[in-house]
Amino acid sequence: MHYGVSESKESFVLLTEGLRKSFSFGNSKIEVLHSVDLTLKKSESLSIRGDSGCGKSTLLNLLARLELADSGSVYWEGKKLNASEKPSTHEISKRASFLGVIYQSYYLIPELTVLENVLLPNRFLDRVDSTQRQRAMDLLEKMGVLDKQNQIPGKLSGGERQRVAIARAMINYPEVILADEPTGNLDERTGGEVMDLLLQSCVEEETSLILVTHNPKFARATSRSSVLQDGTLNEV
Amino acid sequence: MKLPWPLYLAWKQLFPSQRKISFFSLLAIVGVALGVNVMIVVIAFMQGFQEKFKSDIIDAQGHARMIPVNPQGRSMDVLSSLGEKDEIIGISSYVQGQLLLQNRDYNSIPFAIGLEPDSCSEVLPLNEFLKQGHSVMDSHDAVDLTPSPTTDALEDEVVFISLEVANRLGVRPAAILQLLDENKTGLMDGEDGRIEVRRLDPFISSGEWILEILGSNRIMIREVISNFETVRKIRDGVIDLGYGNPVFEIKKGSKPFLPGMIFRYQCFRSSTIEVYSPSMIEKAKSDEMSPPYEVRVGGIIEVPWQGFHSEVVLGTARFMQVMKNQRDSADGYYLKFSDELARDEVKLASICKQLEGIWSDNWVVIPWFVENAWFFELLQFEEYLMILIMIPIGLVAAFAIAIALMTSVMRKIREIGLLVAMGAGQISVGFIFCLQGLIIGTLGAFLGCGLAIVFIHYRDQLMSFIVEQIAGEDGQVGVSQFYDFYSLKVNYPWESPASLINFLSFATFAIMVSTVAGLLPAWRAARLNPADALRSE
Ligand SMILES: Nc1ncnc2c1ncn2[C@@H]1O[C@H](COP(=O)(O)OP(=O)(O)OP(=O)(O)O)[C@@H](O)[C@H]1O
Ligand SMILES: [Mg+2]
Repeated sequence: MHYGVSESKESFVLLTEGLRKSFSFGNSKIEVLHSVDLTLKKSESLSIRGDSGCGKSTLLNLLARLELADSGSVYWEGKKLNASEKPSTHEISKRASFLGVIYQSYYLIPELTVLENVLLPNRFLDRVDSTQRQRAMDLLEKMGVLDKQNQIPGKLSGGERQRVAIARAMINYPEVILADEPTGNLDERTGGEVMDLLLQSCVEEETSLILVTHNPKFARATSRSSVLQDGTLNEV
Repeated sequence: MKLPWPLYLAWKQLFPSQRKISFFSLLAIVGVALGVNVMIVVIAFMQGFQEKFKSDIIDAQGHARMIPVNPQGRSMDVLSSLGEKDEIIGISSYVQGQLLLQNRDYNSIPFAIGLEPDSCSEVLPLNEFLKQGHSVMDSHDAVDLTPSPTTDALEDEVVFISLEVANRLGVRPAAILQLLDENKTGLMDGEDGRIEVRRLDPFISSGEWILEILGSNRIMIREVISNFETVRKIRDGVIDLGYGNPVFEIKKGSKPFLPGMIFRYQCFRSSTIEVYSPSMIEKAKSDEMSPPYEVRVGGIIEVPWQGFHSEVVLGTARFMQVMKNQRDSADGYYLKFSDELARDEVKLASICKQLEGIWSDNWVVIPWFVENAWFFELLQFEEYLMILIMIPIGLVAAFAIAIALMTSVMRKIREIGLLVAMGAGQISVGFIFCLQGLIIGTLGAFLGCGLAIVFIHYRDQLMSFIVEQIAGEDGQVGVSQFYDFYSLKVNYPWESPASLINFLSFATFAIMVSTVAGLLPAWRAARLNPADALRSE
């Protein structure tokens, strides 16, 4: 997974160079990621598979700059960020418009209605207005949960919650969506529906996607597939 | 204007969508409100007591007292320069000392003050004290018609004494009763004409007065013991037979007086007291025995200020000068200013200072609050002590809020991780919890102030309810004797600056404490590692 000489780093939405990450507990130390190089172009989708505990979630956290690497760099839209340094305030403020996140557990805010949950990332950018509200409703409609917009998340089913989470991840037109086993808590059929909606929306909105999944079927549905093994990412 | 999102989330966590209010917020806000309410009300009541004492004290001793630095310095010329001062609206000199009063075998050594009969009521509310001390005899077949004495009765052979002195000596002022025996015209219902007593001077002798209506405009007045008799016109209204006799006042009702109507009155002379002074002892040493001075009891005074000498005798300045054998000189002056000036302690102090300057500090001018500084310090101490006791109550509330918010941080740990992953700054995430403390504190403070206003408004009902529960219905009287809750003036915040400060400071205290309580959870939330937070169970 190396970019050609002709391709500059600017042409990638997301790119990493030599990401290393190890965890230590007590005096034992395990190296989870051992020089991960990853590229992602605009509108591309990349699936990552790997054994449980191989470091997929850790990799996503590094990409989102939620965790510090031992060494290596992450490039957000061609901009080099030192992965082993604390994110700057600029990065933090950029995160809301650059990234969308979806997790296995849906993490909706229980005190907010569905619509308010979707609009929440928007508030971080301080731009809630009627167009945004309309955008949120459109997304909910696309996800098929518009009728639940004034419900609180506690009254939704798992599949419905994950649809809301997808809408929330997309609200700010992010460049990249990081999805960590988004269907992990759902049954086969619901999982399939949700995955279809996710992939389809990413295509429609030209959003790049990194999809961590155990399901080979979903892994094949993305434009590129890779496997994380022994601390390195290998395209298949 | 857009709501900053931490405030938005803080608000939503306290007041979630689709639900009116979370149970936690309700408890927290009510808790803060109750605390604020209690603190405000306690201090407001204390301020009420202070105000009451203050007005009692201001009145009891004049607004300021001017005394010479050394007794030789007293001279009469200060009076003229005092009179030129616009701020001073009343001046009266006094002579003071200690006298021995005796009635038969009973003795009392009260503090004695000699006053100027003409001007003393300008500086001291003596008529009010006399009214307070005036007691009415209770009898089933007679009605006490004795009018409350006034300072008009004050002359050299007349004194006013405090109730303690009167009880110790077993003396009383003159009194007059209307007898309601059969065949005689009594006090009928309000519409009937009555004959009341307008004035009863201290030199009245005991006797029985009979007033009989003779015709439509004629009334006969007879005194049984002296066999004095005269006929007057009803139309004159007032029957004044001169000093030493009661002055009757005819009050016409809607029904006319009918010939043959008889009104009967029993009159009791005032007690006499023998007075001895220290100067008499000096004379006695040189074998010049002088007879005791005899005075009449003109009235009983009651000063509402407990710090005032409880055993006191008031006479004329001249009487005191004679007693002390000290001619034509005053021991000091009572000064009176406008009420507004008297209550402005800073201004009054500076004026007193200024007055002292006029006589190159040969006189000191002591304003009322300096005179009674010990008492105000005591009250102040009491208030501070109360605050000191109550602050831990506030802190307990703060701990409760801190614990609740901390629990909330723990419960929401994954949400916090998610907020950061979605692009929230960590400091801002911390703010959510701090702001929750602020919101709870603010709402609690407002509610507490509101409750306090309601409490102050219904204080009489509340107090009588509480007293009744504790002391029973009869207890009301007993309790109100010591704690004058009913007449207590408790100010609303818009009525006095002190009350406003009371409300504002406890409200601010509550807001600050709850916000500070939110700081620890906030700090906790801001320091979370977002990756760990997302991973946590
Ligand atoms: N904060 C941490 N401290 C210590 N070890 C950690 C920490 N975070 C992750 N690890 C370890 O790193 C390894 C990778 O974890 P990670 O969650 O990335 O795996 P994963 O590939 O996402 O697994 P799964 O498919 O089960 O979600 C695991 O062995 C985990 O125990
Ligand atoms: Mg994982």
